[in-house]
Amino acid sequence: MADIAIRARNVTLTLGTTEILKGIDLDIGQGESVAILGPSGSGKSSLMAILSGLERASAGDVAVAGVQLASLDEDALARARRGRIGIVLQSFHLLPTMTALENVAVPLELNGQAGDAFAAAARELEAVGLGHRLDHYPAQLSGGEQQRVAIARAVAPGPRILFADEPTGNLDGATGAKIIDLLFDRRRAAAATLVIITHDPELAARCDRIVEMRDGLLVADRRAAA
Amino acid sequence: MSAALGWRASWTLARRDLVGRLRGLRLLFICLLLGVTTLATIGSLTAAITGELAAQGQTILGGDFEVSLSQRVATAEERTALARTGQVSETLRTRAMARAGDSAILTELKAVDRAYPLYGAVEGVRIDGLGPDEVVIDRALADRLQRGRGDRLRYGEAEFRIRGIMTAEPDRVGEGFTLGPVALVSLDGFARTGLLQPGALYTAKYRIRTAGDPAPVIDALKDRWADAGWSFKSRDGAAPGANRFFERMGQFLSLIGLAALVIAGIGVSNGVASYLAMKRNGIATLKVLGATSADIARIYLLQIGMVALAAVLLGLAIGALAPPLIVALAGDLLPVAPGFAIYPLPLAVSAAYGLLIALAFALPPLARARMLPAAAIFRAVVDRRFALDRRSLGLAAAATMAVLGLAIGTSRDPLFAAAVIGAVLGALLLLLVIGWAIRRIARAAPRPRRPLLRLAVANLHRPGAQTVGLVVALGLALTLFVTLAAIQTSLSAEISRTVPRRAPDLFVLDIPSDEGPRFARLVRAQAPAAELNIVPALRGTIVAYGDTRVADLETLPEGAWFLRGERGVTYSAALPEGSELTEGSWWPRNYAGTPLVSLDEEAAEVMGVGVGDTLTVSVLGREIPATIFSLRKINWDTLGFNYIMVFTPHTFRAAPHSLTATIQVADDRAGAVTRALLDAFPSASVIETGEVIGQVRTLLDQMAAAILIAATVTIFAGVAVLIGAIAASRQARSFDSVILKTLGATRGQILAAQTMEYGLLASLLAIVALALGLPAAWYVIVRIFDFGWAPDWPVVLATLAGGGLVTLGIGLLGSLPLISVRPAAALRSL
Repeated sequence: MADIAIRARNVTLTLGTTEILKGIDLDIGQGESVAILGPSGSGKSSLMAILSGLERASAGDVAVAGVQLASLDEDALARARRGRIGIVLQSFHLLPTMTALENVAVPLELNGQAGDAFAAAARELEAVGLGHRLDHYPAQLSGGEQQRVAIARAVAPGPRILFADEPTGNLDGATGAKIIDLLFDRRRAAAATLVIITHDPELAARCDRIVEMRDGLLVADRRAAA
Repeated sequence: MSAALGWRASWTLARRDLVGRLRGLRLLFICLLLGVTTLATIGSLTAAITGELAAQGQTILGGDFEVSLSQRVATAEERTALARTGQVSETLRTRAMARAGDSAILTELKAVDRAYPLYGAVEGVRIDGLGPDEVVIDRALADRLQRGRGDRLRYGEAEFRIRGIMTAEPDRVGEGFTLGPVALVSLDGFARTGLLQPGALYTAKYRIRTAGDPAPVIDALKDRWADAGWSFKSRDGAAPGANRFFERMGQFLSLIGLAALVIAGIGVSNGVASYLAMKRNGIATLKVLGATSADIARIYLLQIGMVALAAVLLGLAIGALAPPLIVALAGDLLPVAPGFAIYPLPLAVSAAYGLLIALAFALPPLARARMLPAAAIFRAVVDRRFALDRRSLGLAAAATMAVLGLAIGTSRDPLFAAAVIGAVLGALLLLLVIGWAIRRIARAAPRPRRPLLRLAVANLHRPGAQTVGLVVALGLALTLFVTLAAIQTSLSAEISRTVPRRAPDLFVLDIPSDEGPRFARLVRAQAPAAELNIVPALRGTIVAYGDTRVADLETLPEGAWFLRGERGVTYSAALPEGSELTEGSWWPRNYAGTPLVSLDEEAAEVMGVGVGDTLTVSVLGREIPATIFSLRKINWDTLGFNYIMVFTPHTFRAAPHSLTATIQVADDRAGAVTRALLDAFPSASVIETGEVIGQVRTLLDQMAAAILIAATVTIFAGVAVLIGAIAASRQARSFDSVILKTLGATRGQILAAQTMEYGLLASLLAIVALALGLPAAWYVIVRIFDFGWAPDWPVVLATLAGGGLVTLGIGLLGSLPLISVRPAAALRSL
């Protein structure tokens, strides 16, 4: 079996009195592309948050890219994300006071690659078709362009795992489709494992594997139709 | 088309929208509360003190009116005339040395008759039947002599037993500035001392208790005894010096309070802007539903007005209640202890200031929210168009002019008020320009490579950044502190170092006029190297200059301090040391003609007189007209004898007078010289300059403390603005913090970014405060006071560092919640 990129065992998450995740077991192999599909409120974004180290599970084990996340505090989780995990979010979440180039350079600088961060960032932006918008601020970019910057930022440090949470949620159909193509293209170039959160079955079908969630539980796990 | 909402409907909507959601207007409330409380407190306290001085006029004066004579007592005829007007109490007051063992302390010795005091009472000890060998002393004298009840001390040739220690003298404030502690003896006791030598400097005061208004009585006495050299005071002006001091001090502190309110205005503007930003969706929705700009303005003006009014009312309440607390805390520092009372005028003025400032600073953000189209409101932060309409601009300007007009119009000294306001406005404008420049420079500067530093610099100029407001608010407060610290320490240095270097070590008063040579021999015997200067001394009052009689003047000319009360008068055959002639010439040594006088040139300018004009002085009850023969420029820096009037010897040589002397002597000989002089001349008084300097320094320190307390309010106002700025940018900073954490930044790194940002800001503010504050302080010390520039740099820099640390500390405190935001939780809500 290929190396396991993500291993989750009996992961639960309780916020207040609400059980968000009720015991998730999941293995994702290195290089796989997995769609986590489910209706709104099924817990898929919360699962992604735990797997990407943005949230700590209430119970259970999570190992991502060889690192046990359950015992890490917040700072350790942040360090664990550097260079290992890239995240693309629905609302892009670019730093508004930094240019496209600077936004992409930030994770490289945080990962100790300050020396050639800007050169590497420029290359990534070129690869997503924004070589001519390096010095533009997010407010000067369209939604699609902002998401492309977000993709470049996620991919730039060469992460082993890419997470994307509803990456086309705030985009129109045509733009969204281009973004998905770009996401898969860049993921392939980085040879990264891809985990996409979506409620769109068509998008899910583009992945190697589809995991379905409902009410905080995994209810199905199947290979996507060829 | 339907008509506008109207005030009633607007009020309904305003109230509905505001219920339970005052969070956004807290900054407005706090800033106005701070400013109005300060002004109301200062105004009420000043009114309380000056009101008490007026209400206690009888006690402070010691009578309904007072007649005072210099260097003589009333004749039998004069006493009879006074007795016809009411009950009379006679007191004599002079400076005299209290001696006990080896100690000799300069005191104010007051001799009282059986009728004293006509109003009020001496506290701490009963003085009924005070015997001729008894003395009552105050606590300060008891402590310095280390003597108590039953112990003995000497005045002149007489020994006294201490009957008790008084804790309060009812007419102390009315007596004016005293060089030393006070002792009371009876008139018989005073006669035993032998201090009343011919020419001795003393004042005889006759306080009269009379029914009805004393004014016509005084007028009648003035007419009858016009040439007797009487000085009059009535209960309505019992302590003019204290009154003037507190009115001036209150005025100055009010102007500082007003500066604090202006800084608070920045907080008001920020608070309203943040509040309206929060209400953006609501405003847009109202516009979508058909509300006009006028409706929007009315609704939110009512909300803002409600909160502003609440802040003003609370500020007035605190300001009205604070004076009794301050009086209790100040203790003996204040001359009177007013009780609780409401003073409507200062409260009304403070309320007016608060509401006008609220209007002036709230209108611009309200106008922007009112005028912008619904869609643009959503981009108001990034696309910051200045959209102030003419009407709003006019209203804001009118409110500002009203504030300025109120400040100058209610001032006792409009020119002074205008000057201070001008200086503050100038500083504000300059800070505005500097704040704007800092923003521009931050934007244009090369982008730092390090991401956290880049973020810190970017936060200084990002759209919506509060940098300009913070530079103005905190910059003004810090500049004020630096200025005050530099002025106070420079003054202190001048008094501690320079004055003692130049000033004589000892001043000696009341040397018998025929004992000059013996005096000089005695001093030289103790200290052969001593430098001596002996001059004749009398006391006189200027009663007329040119064609003008001083008594006919309604108000004295500006700068005519010498026309108030008695002045020192002397005579000399030669031009005195420290003076240079600027007009006219000096009289021949053996001149024996009609009286001539040499006058200080500044005094001459104030009176509008010159060489050849007549100056009339009243000395020992006689009016002496003299021709001005020359004008002199006095060099006050020598701190020696500097008389503004020097007469020809023939004018006063035969009049009863004494000699005064200055002695420059080595420190180790001063005590021996003093003891020898007092043994030989028991009626003389020896003033050690060091003690006087100490008293002056204490007074200056107390004044500086009061000013510093008022100035501290500006820091509080600046801090309120800083807190408001932090609150206003919290969402943006949370956003940045979450993204950075997502990208792998630790909490420490995020805190480091905040530290860099606030550290940058604090450093810039420190530079601005130094750049503005030091030149201002230099100007005051060197140009206005004509002193040397010698601030205590560690104190100035410590003041600055303190302010910078407060800025950094509050900035970081405000950032702490950011570093504990959990990314996943935040991302759900962003």
